[in-house]
Amino acid sequence: MTSAVYHAFSQKEAKEFDVQQHMGAQRAEAFVRAFLRRSMPRMSQQALEDHLQRKAVVLEYFTHRKQKEKRKKSKGLSAKQRRELRLFDIKPEQQRYSLFLPLHELWKQYIRDLCNGLKPDTQPQMIQAKLLKADLHGAIVSVTKSKCPSYVGVTGILLQETKHVFKIITKEDRLKVIPKQNCVFTVEIDGFISYIYGSKFQLRSSERSAKKFKAKGTIDL
Amino acid sequence: MLGAGPVDGSVWRARSAWMAGPVKDREAFQRLNFLYQAAHCVLAQDPENQALARFYCHTERTIAKRLVLRRDPSVKRTLCRGCSSLLIPGLTCTQRQRRCKGQRWTVQTCLTCQRSQRFLNNPRHVLWGDRPEAQLGNQADPKPPQPLPNTAHPIPAQLPEEKVQPQSSSHQ
Repeated sequence: MTSAVYHAFSQKEAKEFDVQQHMGAQRAEAFVRAFLRRSMPRMSQQALEDHLQRKAVVLEYFTHRKQKEKRKKSKGLSAKQRRELRLFDIKPEQQRYSLFLPLHELWKQYIRDLCNGLKPDTQPQMIQAKLLKADLHGAIVSVTKSKCPSYVGVTGILLQETKHVFKIITKEDRLKVIPKQNCVFTVEIDGFISYIYGSKFQLRSSERSAKKFKAKGTIDL
Repeated sequence: MLGAGPVDGSVWRARSAWMAGPVKDREAFQRLNFLYQAAHCVLAQDPENQALARFYCHTERTIAKRLVLRRDPSVKRTLCRGCSSLLIPGLTCTQRQRRCKGQRWTVQTCLTCQRSQRFLNNPRHVLWGDRPEAQLGNQADPKPPQPLPNTAHPIPAQLPEEKVQPQSSSHQ
């Protein structure tokens, strides 16, 4: 287990197997480690070492067990799904803000493509209408007004959007969870600044693209 | 290669009833497309944390369900139906080739929910099922594909050859 986890192909072998090598060795090693961590069965380190050092390792038993487990309900086990931590854990805080910058670039290109142009003479109405249906993951949002003064001025990249909450990562690599109610957010794209009233936006992002918004009475905060 | 090229083309091809360009659909498709690429981008930056990619794919699946949008099978195969995570062979799932009843199947197993999918692989059956629809789709004028994210995934050496052919036929 202490030997090398990853070893890159040599030039001859790479040509023979027709494998392209774009990434640096570190990135590739990160991928291999992630895969290994996922595929290993859940045992303690001691048990793993034990298994590997003993000579009689039984390999053939696992297939039948897997088939039995699959027979239960293949239509999505909801309680178990949530338990498996589909949400974040605290480790992403070690991941720097710089890792999400390509995501932001992708979002900018997507919005530009959606509006067909930068800023010639397009009315702001069109942009707003499109923003309502568009996706905001990866945008840089900031809080302008809020009932709670400690939220004002928080800026960062939007990572997750759930029914009541925005999850934002700031430049100092801190994950901030900001409720949508009673807050006004600012989204900026290419010189267009839009204000989003969070109280009206209390929907999951997938439901938002299916819902038609009516202009009800103006509510400030 | 699971880049931006086949994604855009294959999602567009699924709309067999080509009306005069219904606007709401196009926006919705663009959004689906963007979410898919964002999931790839996030995974490429950081292979350890798959929760965010799973969240994006779950959002994508809910949107497609709510608005009843048809997706191309080549895109659907890279998403797990059980836990809706993005499947990348070598990172999130394993791909094996088995022989069952005298035919060659490719079995993809998701590592999170242990759900497996089986695809039949027949080297003689090269062209894909919707050939007359492909003719129809090619006459209409597709949108320009979204630009690729900067990083590429490593191609594992164990990818069977038959997988490459359907992707190249969906390029056309």
